[in-house]
Amino acid sequence: MELWHTHLLREKVDQSSLLVQGNRACALGALDAGVRFFAGYPITPSSEIMEAMAYELPRVGGVFVQMEDEIASICACIGASLSGRLGMTATSGPGFSLMQEAIGYAIMVEAPLVIVDVMREGPSTGRVSVPSQGDVMQARWGTHGDHPAIVLAASTVADMYRLTMAAVRFSQRFRTPVILLADEMVGHIRESFSPELVGRYRLTSGDFDFTPGYVHPELVREVHPPHVLGSETHPHVTGCTHDETGFPTKDSGESERFLHGLYDKVTNHRDELCLYDVKNEGKGRVCIVAYGSCARSARAAWRLADQEGLPVEVLHLYTLFPLPVEIIQTVARRVEFMLVPELNLGQYAREVRKLAEPWTTVISMGKVGGNLITPREILNEVTRLIGKYESV
Amino acid sequence: MALAIEEFLHTERLPHIWCAGCGIGIVTGAFLRVLVELGLKREETVVVGGVGCSSRAAGYVDVGTMHTIHGRALAFATGIKLARPEFTVLVITGDGDGAAIGGNHLIHACRRNIDLTCILMNNQVYGMTGGQVSPTMELGDRATTAPYGQIEPAFDLCKLVEAAGATFVARGTVAEVRTLQGLIKEGVQHPGFAFIEAVVPCPMEYGKRNAPAGVCGMLDEELARSLPVAEAAGLAPEELEGKIVTGVLRRETGRPEFLRSYAAIVDRAQAEAREQVGREEAG
Repeated sequence: MELWHTHLLREKVDQSSLLVQGNRACALGALDAGVRFFAGYPITPSSEIMEAMAYELPRVGGVFVQMEDEIASICACIGASLSGRLGMTATSGPGFSLMQEAIGYAIMVEAPLVIVDVMREGPSTGRVSVPSQGDVMQARWGTHGDHPAIVLAASTVADMYRLTMAAVRFSQRFRTPVILLADEMVGHIRESFSPELVGRYRLTSGDFDFTPGYVHPELVREVHPPHVLGSETHPHVTGCTHDETGFPTKDSGESERFLHGLYDKVTNHRDELCLYDVKNEGKGRVCIVAYGSCARSARAAWRLADQEGLPVEVLHLYTLFPLPVEIIQTVARRVEFMLVPELNLGQYAREVRKLAEPWTTVISMGKVGGNLITPREILNEVTRLIGKYESV
Repeated sequence: MALAIEEFLHTERLPHIWCAGCGIGIVTGAFLRVLVELGLKREETVVVGGVGCSSRAAGYVDVGTMHTIHGRALAFATGIKLARPEFTVLVITGDGDGAAIGGNHLIHACRRNIDLTCILMNNQVYGMTGGQVSPTMELGDRATTAPYGQIEPAFDLCKLVEAAGATFVARGTVAEVRTLQGLIKEGVQHPGFAFIEAVVPCPMEYGKRNAPAGVCGMLDEELARSLPVAEAAGLAPEELEGKIVTGVLRRETGRPEFLRSYAAIVDRAQAEAREQVGREEAG
């Protein structure tokens, strides 16, 4: 076991069981992936990620700095990324709002970067220690202008570990920021966990390449030649729309090609980027589409439904953007209803509806106020939908 | 014959964007001569600019350069320096970029005393956006957003950064560019956070609304108001009113530099980690 495990897994209960907090599992995933630069600013409910990094990074020769605000934090991360050390930061809603301009800059200069947003209730200060999924569309469209987005969502402590690693890998491969969404519950919950026991989508150190300016051979035609500050190429890096030299362009055709290129390098790789699980595949009349903490309730609701003989399947999404078009449409073709429980007023349900409505009826089940959606609430909705159908 | 500074200049990017009479090109020239004098390596030198007329200078310098977002150049530079401490990292900013939107990053970079050099070109106006009021504009001056005159007092940036903990603080003017060049050079060589304020005329957006109009008048006035720090030492505050005190205003080497302190932390943490592993293996 590596050095940092001993500290992060200190919350031992007994020899056979290790309880780890979601935020700490996130830090652990980052360290195991090879992240060696973290800049952040304190904010509940994400601070434990930064605290773990503050302790662990010096122990492995990495860099940790607490900056003066979230804007400075993300800018420092981008500076580090462009100098050959992939940067990571973690925050919550108010800090995530402050970071938006710099996220656009990172997209524009194609800097690999990982941003974790442990969501709390908003808008504004909202309520700091209650779960919410209110930042989903901000993660997609928070920065101005047309841009691609890679957004992942964690449901469990194990997800915090493996999806942080996936975020590092995606950002490295596609040279763009990757946003990992968690919510207060996922960030703060303690669950039995061990890196060795993480199942599907687990990555290991061999999946990463931190060579400055690294571009995977499969992607050289889509990802622009990376600019590494301080290399022999001594490049110019700018947030202005630029051509291959790195300098701003005033040519409309060039701008159009550049902006399409940023989009295409992400959307052309949905197969690789879209992570999900389907439970009870092909056997449901209702499909519960869920992510984050709601996916836990969705899975539990499916088990309850099974006991009652209700035909339910679950589509558990780990990737929210780029949109998992294929799986949503595949499921839409075979079920009568798609039910989307989420801790907001229907943000992702609208996305599902856009993709699924030619084939099925999409029902939004949004909830705000700080309480989780219970399996029973989901089951009641499923029963209502199926009952309504029978009575027609 | 090519000039020595052309080694560090993107000549293919010329002509530059600055207006006739603007002082930014003169400061940039001084800056380039410092790079030549110090024999800095292109692949180990990074220049970071924010957004604004002054920040655009970064794009003409042929080293690793970054044109970033408004106000945040120092935050980006901090990340670069932390990731690659062996680099010489310089920041070029202006009064709006560095002292208004970027003011928070400026004071914290000073407090941290991280080994960066920040050259802030103070032309007392937002030039690129068309002449709006800046935090260094003096009382009564006119701008498009202060059509009846500025009613807020100006920042004295050197006093601000000194109070915030910068360990090298200097001020020079375009009118005395050789002196300014020397100050920039000293700043780059200083092992800690170095701040150089370059007083720059903006005849286009400042000069057209305020006296004296025209670049010659502005430079004459700059010279007349300049006072070397040694001569200013004995003067009372009222005698210094309206003066531009030039030279090295502060130089301190005792204060810990951030990267060195951080390196010591890494050594300590790694030693502790090794000990811990040793104990666990033995136990």
